[in-house]
Amino acid sequence: MTDIKLPPLRRRDLIAGGLALGAAQVAGPFVRTARAADTVKIGLDNPVTGTYAAPGKNELDGVKYAIELINAQGGILGRQVELIAEDSTSGDAGTAVQKANKLIDRDKVNFLLGNVNSALAAAMAGVSSQKGVLHVVPGGHADAITGANCHWNVFRVCNTTQMEANAVAKTLATKYGKKWYYITPDYLFGHALQAGMQNANKALGGETLGADLTPLGTTDFSANLIKAQAANPDVLVLLVQGDDMINCLKQAVQFGLDKKLHIAGSQQEMEALEGIPPEARIGTWVMEWYWNQPGVPHVADFVAAIKKRTGRVPTARHWFGFVSAWTCYFGAEGAKSLEAVKMAKALQGFKLPPEVALMPDGAFYRAGQNQLIGDLYVGTAQGQGSAPDDFFKVSSVEKGVDLAGTVEQSGCKMTWPT
Amino acid sequence: MSVKRDFAVGLFVWAALLTMPFWMPAIGGYTGLATRVVVMGLGAMALNLLLGYTGALSFGHATFFGLGAYGAAMTIRYLVPSTPLALLAGIAVAAAAGAAIGAMIVRRRGVYFAMSTIAFGQIFYFVAFRWSSVTGGDDGLTGWTRAPLSLGPLTLDIRGSETAFYYFALALFAAGVGAMAWILSTPFGRTLVAIRENERRARFLGLSIERHLWLSFVISSTLMGLAGGLYALLNNFVDPRTLRYDQSGEFVIMAVMGGMRSFWGPLLGAFIFVVVQDVVSSHTENWMSVIGLVFILVVLFFPRGLLGLLGRRAPA
Repeated sequence: MTDIKLPPLRRRDLIAGGLALGAAQVAGPFVRTARAADTVKIGLDNPVTGTYAAPGKNELDGVKYAIELINAQGGILGRQVELIAEDSTSGDAGTAVQKANKLIDRDKVNFLLGNVNSALAAAMAGVSSQKGVLHVVPGGHADAITGANCHWNVFRVCNTTQMEANAVAKTLATKYGKKWYYITPDYLFGHALQAGMQNANKALGGETLGADLTPLGTTDFSANLIKAQAANPDVLVLLVQGDDMINCLKQAVQFGLDKKLHIAGSQQEMEALEGIPPEARIGTWVMEWYWNQPGVPHVADFVAAIKKRTGRVPTARHWFGFVSAWTCYFGAEGAKSLEAVKMAKALQGFKLPPEVALMPDGAFYRAGQNQLIGDLYVGTAQGQGSAPDDFFKVSSVEKGVDLAGTVEQSGCKMTWPT
Repeated sequence: MSVKRDFAVGLFVWAALLTMPFWMPAIGGYTGLATRVVVMGLGAMALNLLLGYTGALSFGHATFFGLGAYGAAMTIRYLVPSTPLALLAGIAVAAAAGAAIGAMIVRRRGVYFAMSTIAFGQIFYFVAFRWSSVTGGDDGLTGWTRAPLSLGPLTLDIRGSETAFYYFALALFAAGVGAMAWILSTPFGRTLVAIRENERRARFLGLSIERHLWLSFVISSTLMGLAGGLYALLNNFVDPRTLRYDQSGEFVIMAVMGGMRSFWGPLLGAFIFVVVQDVVSSHTENWMSVIGLVFILVVLFFPRGLLGLLGRRAPA
């Protein structure tokens, strides 16, 4: 009897294979650095995996579209623009910081963009301000980024949580009543949203009947909804986001709560409404940008262009990314330079042209705070509107300047490098 | 293993470390990544004192890494903007926690020991996560930076220059690793190996196993605290993830991948882990699969780790 002999798997072969694989992995960056010498580089450090993958990818699409337009008209200061995108993950600030360092130190980007998650955006702002790189935050909402922790080099496109709360609070208090009950996600962003709503309601003479904190990723809201119903508020304020919002809204409708009290919240996003069945698309919310704006110039072109690229209508996230990339352009062209301080100075009080602002009253970066101030759209979610993707009925367009308070109130004390 | 071979490997490692900022760009890296390798390498080697030399598997060593990081960060943020004091505070906090936790778990063995380390680690993770007014919670602790180092009349600008910070971290790495090498060469160090090889026999020889294990745990936590402090200073940032069990797992992966029976193995493991993560994650979101694949291949084909490979060819 003879043994069956298999061809031996030799260690040497394995090592050689491993080395080849390793070499293939590092070959990429060489190519990129070689052709990148004469371009202007924008580094995007944003989530494409995890909870915020959908908004992150939409922002990426917006950035890409803007860069295409910028390059078609000759680039920034006559140089073509190159985008370098890194996955920051949805919640790991350490990774976001590492990627920001990588983009700045190795890729030598002229601009840093990101992040969807405000915690990650704040952490990245620490890196960018220390290294003096112009940084645009497309969609991280925590107030401190352009408030108590503001930096001369950090600009933000999306609104603060307080602005969103102020926008919807007046409508809710006057139309539906001042006794509110909250269902809030139990982490910092949720706490900030609730505090913002409570402040706004208090200013109008309202009161809080109760508030339930729910862990991120809650699927069963029945206990909270029963408790809320028993408290008998005028308005049930839902501050949960993403999948939690979808579950909570669905269950509220199944319980028939929408017939007994008014359901509302501050921030609502198209990404969430797209995931909700038509009958559960209810309630009063704030959108930071909406695609269906009849009569506002250039909006239709933008919608058509994004629809052609992605097959769907643009969301606020597309617009955030779009404006962020254009902000780099306006900073550099205004300063006639790629020096961060000069660009940041050029952007103080800068008013976006209508083809970028895409809002009835336009939008500008408020000097001394670097916060973009435009319009906010208050309205109600709807099962089906005039067009296939029309899930939101805008009832009023609120001007950001009326909602933002003063620079002093924001808590931002900006210091410039000497 | 021959003395000559040890010397050659050591020489090669130090030459590579001293020149790392210069050759790192050639493999797609940057100076900050080199610093990360050194810091993570120190962490993995600190864990290996316990894992490889004493034979106790801790799955919660990120506790001490994170405590070192928070200790350093909070010192600068709330007390005094001094880099040396921050590091000392981080080390002290980690050592104290190591002493307290170690005393409670040294009687456990095997999986019970490992589970206890995870449990204690998670306590600190949730404290950091929930106590947001002090630790910054999930958002992390921002609003501080490492301070330049003043050495009498000279000032070393470790804040502005990444290269200066690299050599600062490397100097502390050398101090930590040197101390570890010295400890391992003493009778105490040999006793640790004896415990690893045959605990019952060591006990019959009259050695106090628990005390040795405890001391090993404390030394390992202390060095971990140093690594954590450096990590916080590297990022100018710290968040609860540095304390979490998956961070602990990463250190174990580094140690096992590089070779936990060899002195420098964990450093090699850290190098591969950090560089592969950085390079591959730029190309694909599934970088963890690549690390996982490498890890499985190593465990299947080189159970003594990548550096164990070298040792095997040495004359017996």
